[in-house]
Amino acid sequence: MENAMGVTLNEAEAEVVEAYRKLEAVLRDRADELPPFARRNAAKALAALWQVMNGLDMDPGQPYDLGV
Amino acid sequence: MSRKGAGMNDSPYWNPRHETLPRDQLDALQVRKLKRLVEWADAQVPWQANRLREAGVTADSINSLDDLRRAPFLTRDEWMAAQLEQPPFGPILAAAPERAVRYHMTSGTTGRTPIRVLDSLKDWEWIAEMWCYGLWGFGVRPSDTVFVAFGYSTFIGFWGLHYACEKLGCLTLPGGAMTTDQRVKQIVEMGATVVASTPTYALRMAQEARSLGIDLASSAVQRVILSGEPAGSIPATKRLIEEQWGAKAGDTAGMTELGTIMIFECSDQPGGTHIIEDHYIEEVVDPATDRPVPHGEMGERVVTSFGRGFIPVIRYRTRDFVVRVPGSTCSCGRTFDIYEGGIRGRVDDMKLVRGTNVYPRAVEAIVREHPEIDEFQIHLYTADGIRDEIEVLVEIPDQSADADALLSQIRKELAETHEGLRFGVKRAENESLPRFELKAKRVLDERIVIGGEGERRQ
Repeated sequence: MENAMGVTLNEAEAEVVEAYRKLEAVLRDRADELPPFARRNAAKALAALWQVMNGLDMDPGQPYDLGV
Repeated sequence: MSRKGAGMNDSPYWNPRHETLPRDQLDALQVRKLKRLVEWADAQVPWQANRLREAGVTADSINSLDDLRRAPFLTRDEWMAAQLEQPPFGPILAAAPERAVRYHMTSGTTGRTPIRVLDSLKDWEWIAEMWCYGLWGFGVRPSDTVFVAFGYSTFIGFWGLHYACEKLGCLTLPGGAMTTDQRVKQIVEMGATVVASTPTYALRMAQEARSLGIDLASSAVQRVILSGEPAGSIPATKRLIEEQWGAKAGDTAGMTELGTIMIFECSDQPGGTHIIEDHYIEEVVDPATDRPVPHGEMGERVVTSFGRGFIPVIRYRTRDFVVRVPGSTCSCGRTFDIYEGGIRGRVDDMKLVRGTNVYPRAVEAIVREHPEIDEFQIHLYTADGIRDEIEVLVEIPDQSADADALLSQIRKELAETHEGLRFGVKRAENESLPRFELKAKRVLDERIVIGGEGERRQ
C-alpha cells in the first residue's frame, strides 16, 4: 500500500489504515445499527485513528459528518 | 512510585518519517496539504472563500509554497471584527457547531475581546497530537508521572498537554484548583518526574518549595515543560529554572487560535524550538513591509495550520517576533527548522521610552542573570507631568545580599543594552509584587505621556 506521497507503508501501518477504513465505512453506512455506546466509542476511535491516517499521509479528509 | 514503559520502539521522534524528511520532500508534503486546506476552506467557509478568491487563490492555483504568498494575511483584528459581526464565533467555522465537543477562548492578556474557538473529537485529538511531538521529542515517555500545574478552565493553556500525556501512557496528575504549596507537596509526594507550567510559575513553585523546606533539586522531577510565556527560551530564566528544579527545562509555544503548540524544544536543547513543519507552514515577514525575511533575521511569524479543520487558519499574523534558522543547526537529526531563542517577544510588547525601544523580554534576560532576585516588575510612569520614566522593581529576599551593589549593577546593565537609557532600579519589599500562575503581567504602564515628543495618552 502506498500513501499520497508515493511511500510504501509497512504491513503494520497498512493494517491500521484498513482498520480506519472499515470503521469509517461502518460509521458512514451502518451507524444506525449501532447502540449509543458502540456508535460513540467507534467515533472516538475513528478520531484517534484519523491521526494515524494523517501522520501516514493517507489524506483522510475531514469526516465531521460522521460525528468526529 | 515507579512505572514501567510500554515497550514501544524508543525512537527519539514522534513521527520519525516526517521529522527527518529532506527539505524538498517536506516542501512537497506542505504543498499537498496546503492544496487540501484551501480546497476545504473554499468549500466550507464562504467568508474565507471570498477572501481567497479575491486574491486569486484556489486549490488548483497552488503549485508551490510561493503560491501561498498570494493569499491575504489574516489579522487578529479581522478575526475579532468577524466574531463581533456574527457572534459568538464569527463566520469562520467549517463545520456545524453541533459537531464540536470543546469550547475555548484566548486568555485575554491583551485586554481585548477574547477569540472563541470550537473543536470536534478529531480536532481535539490532533491538538493532543501536536503536544505529543513536543513531549516525546523532549524525552517524556510512558513511564513518566506528569504533574500539570494549570488552572483547568476555558483558557486552553495546558489542556492539550494533559491529553497528550494520557495518549503517551503517562500517569497524569491534573493540578488544577490547588494552592501553590499543595502543588509542590503533591509533586514531591507522588514522585512526579515531569512538571508542566509557565516559566513564571515554575519559579514561583521553586520559591514556595524553599519556604516549605523542600529541596526540589533532589526530588524525582527530571523535566519541566514550559509554555505560555517567551521566558522559556530566555537563557538566564531557563538556567534559573533548571538550577532550582535540578531538571531539564524545555520550551514550547502555542496559540488558542491554533488550539495547540506549533513549536517545541527537543532533548538536545539547541537553544531554540523546532517548528512542527508537517502540520504548519510558518513564514517570517518584516512587520513593516510584509516581505519575507531570510534565515537568521528577526521578523514576525505568520502561520498556516493544517490541523484544526473546524477553523481553517491561513496566513495568520501572530505578532510574535522570531528568528528562524535551519534545522541542521540542531544535532537531533530533525529537519524541522528552528526558532532560535523561541518566541522573542511580541510586536505589541515594545515600549517606547524617551525614544528608545524597550522589550520586556530583554529586561527579564538581564534581571534573571541575578538569582538573588525572586520577582520583579517593570513600571512606566510620567514624571513631572511631562517626561516618561521607567523603573524596575525587584525583590531580594536574601538579607545578606549586597542589595545596593546589585541594584547598581542591574542599572548599569540595563542602560548598556538600551542605548544608555536611564532605568530606575529599586528594591521592593519581599512578597509585595504580584505573583502569577499563568501568563505573567510584569509590565505596569501608568504613563499619561508617551515618548519624548510629549504625545498625550489621555
